[in-house]
Amino acid sequence: MNDKKYTKDHEWILLEESVATIGISNHAQESLGDIVFIELPKIGKTIKAKQEICVIESVKAASDIYSPIDGEIIEINKELEKDATIINQDAENKGWIFKIKVTEPNQLDDLMSAEDYSKFLEQ
Amino acid sequence: MTKLPLDIPLNDFHLARGAKMISFAGYNMPINYSSGIINEHNKVRTHCGIFDVSHMGQILIPSSNYNICNLEKYIPLNLKKLKSNKSNYSFLLNEKGGIIDDIIISNINLNNKTFFYIVYNASRKNHDENIFIKHTKNYKILKKNCLFAIQGPEAYRVLNKVIKIPNNIHFLDFFSTNIKLKNVLITRTGYTGEDGFEISIPIERAENFLKKLLEDNNSILCGLGSRDSLRVEAGLSLYGHELNEDITPIEAGLLWALDKERLNDNNLNGNKELFDQLCNQPAKKKIGIKMENRTMIREGMTIVNKNNDKIGIVTSGCFSPTLNKSIGLGYISSDYSLSNEIFCKIRDKLEVIKISNLPFVKKNYNKGAIK
Repeated sequence: MNDKKYTKDHEWILLEESVATIGISNHAQESLGDIVFIELPKIGKTIKAKQEICVIESVKAASDIYSPIDGEIIEINKELEKDATIINQDAENKGWIFKIKVTEPNQLDDLMSAEDYSKFLEQ
Repeated sequence: MTKLPLDIPLNDFHLARGAKMISFAGYNMPINYSSGIINEHNKVRTHCGIFDVSHMGQILIPSSNYNICNLEKYIPLNLKKLKSNKSNYSFLLNEKGGIIDDIIISNINLNNKTFFYIVYNASRKNHDENIFIKHTKNYKILKKNCLFAIQGPEAYRVLNKVIKIPNNIHFLDFFSTNIKLKNVLITRTGYTGEDGFEISIPIERAENFLKKLLEDNNSILCGLGSRDSLRVEAGLSLYGHELNEDITPIEAGLLWALDKERLNDNNLNGNKELFDQLCNQPAKKKIGIKMENRTMIREGMTIVNKNNDKIGIVTSGCFSPTLNKSIGLGYISSDYSLSNEIFCKIRDKLEVIKISNLPFVKKNYNKGAIK
C-alpha cells in the first residue's frame, strides 16, 4: 500500500501523524539524470506551500524543490550532503530530502494518489 | 517560424537502445542512454564510447584554384600548403574576424581526386552552407552519410577489429576505406580529449557498422551529455558557447589554429582586426573555472570581483566526473585573468571560483613518434 501523495512538480509527500516526509519521485530522478549536489534547507525554517525550499543539481540542470504544504522543517537528510546519488538509487525511500511538522494537513487533499500520479505521467 | 526537429538517420536504433532524446540544433539527439551521463563520461576516459554525431554537416569541395581562392577569404589557413591526408582545426571568419563557425578541414585524396573534406556544426549549417554554395564549385554536401565518433583509450582496438587501420595513422591523420563498395572517411580525431576516430559512413552501411563496434564488451553508446562534460574537461570550445560571430579566434585563445602569415593577406576576412589583436592584448580572455565547493557552475552565470562588479560571464558549466567537482569555461576582462579573488553569482550568493589552466584533464591523443 502506497500512502504517498504526489505533486505536479514530481515531489512525493508521506504524512505520518503530524510529520510529513518529502522527496522527489522516481520519475523526477530519472529525468534529472545523475544528481551531483543538493543544497539542503535549514532546520527550524517556517515554510509555506509552493515555496522554494532547496535546490537539486544534476548533470543536466538545477531544479528547485517546492514544499507541497505549510509547516516547519524539523529534519533534513544529511546523508545526501555526502552522497546525493542516493536520490538516483532510491528516490522514494532512502532519498527523502526533508521532514516538515505540518500545520495544515488538509492541504494534502488536493494532491494526487500514486495511481493518479502514474496516470498524470502517461498524459 | 519554428521548425520541428529532424531525426538523424539511426533515430530508431538509438531509441531501441534506451536513448533519452533532446532537441539540439534542430535535431532530435540522444543526450544519454540508460547508464547515465557520468557512466558514459567515465567509459570514454577509461575504455571506449561511441557517439552518433550525424547531425553535423559534412561537405566535399574539390581543391581547385577557384575554390581555394574563395575559401581562403573565410578560412585562416594556407589551403595550398595543407598536408595531404591531414586534418586541421580551423574556422570560417566574418568580415571582422569573428567566428562564423569552427570546422575540421582535411585535405584528402579520394578516388584519385583531391578534395577538402569539411565537418561543421549542426547549429551553423545554414550559415556555412550558404558560403559553400555561393563561393565554391562542384561541391557535394554529404547528406547521406552518418558521422560516428569513437573515443577513448580503447577506440583504436575496437575500431581496428571492424576496419583495418593502416600503419602510421596518428592524431589528425586521415584515411579512407571501402565497406561493400562504399567510401568511408576516417580521421583520427574527436572532441573529448581522448584518442579516437571520426567516421563518415553512408547511411546504408551505418547501422551494421555501429552494431559491430558495439559488439565489443568495452564499448558503449554515449550521448551529447557526456560529450559536453568531456569537451569541457579537455578545455575545448563549443560554438554558441565560447565561440560566436562577436569573438575572434585570438580572444578565444585559439591563436595556434591561425596561419599567422595569412594575417597580412587582404583576401582573408578580418585580417586587419586579427593583426591588431595579435599586437595588442585583447580586452577579454577565455579562462577555465573551478568551483571550490559542491555548487554547480552553469552557462550564463555572471563572474564578479570582490566589489560585486561584473567582470565576465560563464559560457559553459558542468560537473566534471574526473575531478569530482564543477568546472566551466568563460570570458573575463583581461585585467582579472591572474586574479585570485573572483566570484560566481549563483542564486544571489557569491561563490569563490578559481581560475584554472586548460585543459582540466590532460589530453590523451596518439601523436606517434616525435620527428
